[in-house]
Amino acid sequence: MAYLNLTNITKQYGDAVVVDDFNLDVEKGEFVSFLGPSGCGKTTTLRMVAGFEIPTTGKITINGVDVTNNAPNQRNVGMIFQAYALFPNMTVAQNIGFGLRIRKESESAVKDRVKEMISLINLEKHADKYPYQLSGGQQQRVALARALANRPQVLLLDEPLSALDAKIRVSLRAEIRAIQKALGITAIFVTHDQEEALSISDRIVVMYEGKAEQVGTPFEIYNFPKTQFVANFVGSLNNADGEVVDAANGILAMDGVHLKTADAELSTSRKGDKVRISIRPERFSFAAEPMKDNVVDCTIENITFLGSVVRIQISIGNTKFNMDTFNNPFLELPAIGATEKVMCSKEAVLVLGTA
Amino acid sequence: MSAITTDAPVGQGKKRWSFRQAGTRFWSWVWFLLGAIYFLVPLYATLRHSLRMERDVIGFKAYVRAFEDNDFWETFLLSNGLAVATIICSVILIVPTAYWIRLRLPQARRIAEFITLLPFVIPAIILVFGLIRTYSAPIDIPFTGIELLKPLTTTKFGTYALITAGYMVLAMPYMYRSVDTGMRVVDIRTLTEAAQSLGAGWFAIITQVILPNVRSALLSGALLTFAIVVGEVTLAAFLGVDAFGPYLFLIGQHRAYEPAALSFVTFLMTWFAMGMIQFVTGGQGQAAGAH
Repeated sequence: MAYLNLTNITKQYGDAVVVDDFNLDVEKGEFVSFLGPSGCGKTTTLRMVAGFEIPTTGKITINGVDVTNNAPNQRNVGMIFQAYALFPNMTVAQNIGFGLRIRKESESAVKDRVKEMISLINLEKHADKYPYQLSGGQQQRVALARALANRPQVLLLDEPLSALDAKIRVSLRAEIRAIQKALGITAIFVTHDQEEALSISDRIVVMYEGKAEQVGTPFEIYNFPKTQFVANFVGSLNNADGEVVDAANGILAMDGVHLKTADAELSTSRKGDKVRISIRPERFSFAAEPMKDNVVDCTIENITFLGSVVRIQISIGNTKFNMDTFNNPFLELPAIGATEKVMCSKEAVLVLGTA
Repeated sequence: MSAITTDAPVGQGKKRWSFRQAGTRFWSWVWFLLGAIYFLVPLYATLRHSLRMERDVIGFKAYVRAFEDNDFWETFLLSNGLAVATIICSVILIVPTAYWIRLRLPQARRIAEFITLLPFVIPAIILVFGLIRTYSAPIDIPFTGIELLKPLTTTKFGTYALITAGYMVLAMPYMYRSVDTGMRVVDIRTLTEAAQSLGAGWFAIITQVILPNVRSALLSGALLTFAIVVGEVTLAAFLGVDAFGPYLFLIGQHRAYEPAALSFVTFLMTWFAMGMIQFVTGGQGQAAGAH
């Protein structure tokens, strides 16, 4: 049995179903992210694990113990909030030691643990400072240390990096991941930032309208999205309408151009079925390797410089696609209006439902 | 076709701005000085009057006479005791109420605010007659004849309890609003959840997290409560409590200089209390607002 188990969780407020029959097993030491747009139910699910919300139906177990109806202070679950939620009247050391003092641990044990936690987050010089004397990143590190000080069974992180600026966000997420791995703690991380989820997680749960659309590793979620929503929400995606030409051999037609696909979705289709074709921009490249599955003519419509990436807008037939290529100082870009050959592998052509 | 130009000579815009700023500053000072005169002139007149008890001599005789009076000390200490009791009872009643309304019953906020405004529209005389009428006779459980509460006005302790409850009603608008505003400044919902996730129960949350973070709001409410209780006349007079308010009223009718001296001393004590609040809560506002 998994360490953290959510079974058939549903949460309703009046007639509104916020979380709908949600199921998830999380192994001990795993880092799972809930990813989705605002209002998809990810925070509500996290709050149900924390005990701040009680599921309308379903069961939550941690380490084999049913905690569904337990109060938040009886679950030993650590929580980190977007707004840090440090106690303004307490110093860094007092904040970190708060939970231990509530548990009535001896003062020497509290001191030792606080010292250990402060060194874990590298804030030794700030132990006697108040939260308002710290930067946002430092405050969130204190919040992390405070949550970990109690040795929680599960660590819950509710968009902990959203209030920080971009650079701090990147460094702190790496720090959170390193600490989580070092301590082997089970963690659930809520975010609407796909890059954050892809970079930090062992597994990602993509949520939409209260349901888990897809659960998988970052690699699976990005490369093999199972639904149109997942494909669109995670990363950039080109979409086009097409038609099945030969389902057995995975051949599709789009604006008179034939494309090969390896998508298993096609096996249930029949010739003439309308389908939605999706290709990620970075899966296109200029045709230097003629043996690729799909080599097609295109017209260069526009070129946009995005720093590390150059985005080229191409049209294949009447359909416009974006194509991403890595920037380098010696990159030779085609002229706008020129006709070029582009290619992509058959694995890059995804069939995500009907058109 | 000539173009319409709006360019001003370099520096003119800046000059216009600084004139406007100087004008704003001038009027700010004018209003400040008018306000200061409005408050300070009567105060000065009271002080001057209190120092002229002896003909052609400026001295503290009125103060000495006032402080020599045993009644002064008895009534003053009693009022102080009642003020402290009122503040403690108000904190016990209002802090958890305001906290719970903010946390779990936001829809009840309008009702609570309406109730806290009632003392402004219901005169103290109505309140005291209501209290006397209700609590000067035993209170029975309806239809049983079982006595629930003995008459409160027949004992000293009962009367003090009754007047404290009355003072709590009078101070409620100030205390509730101070506490509610203090709770709005700190994000009590998130702080509560953070404390809960760290294992804290309700008592620990209120005493260790909420109360310290609304300390300055509480002190402001406490100061206002103190000022109301120490000067209150109606409730004390009708309930027959020898408090400072009726004493001040009484000597005001019989003596000329001592009431001015006592008024001035009371005023100084209020300012001292406000200064102490500033001193005690100096860094707290910053800490509480930090996010």
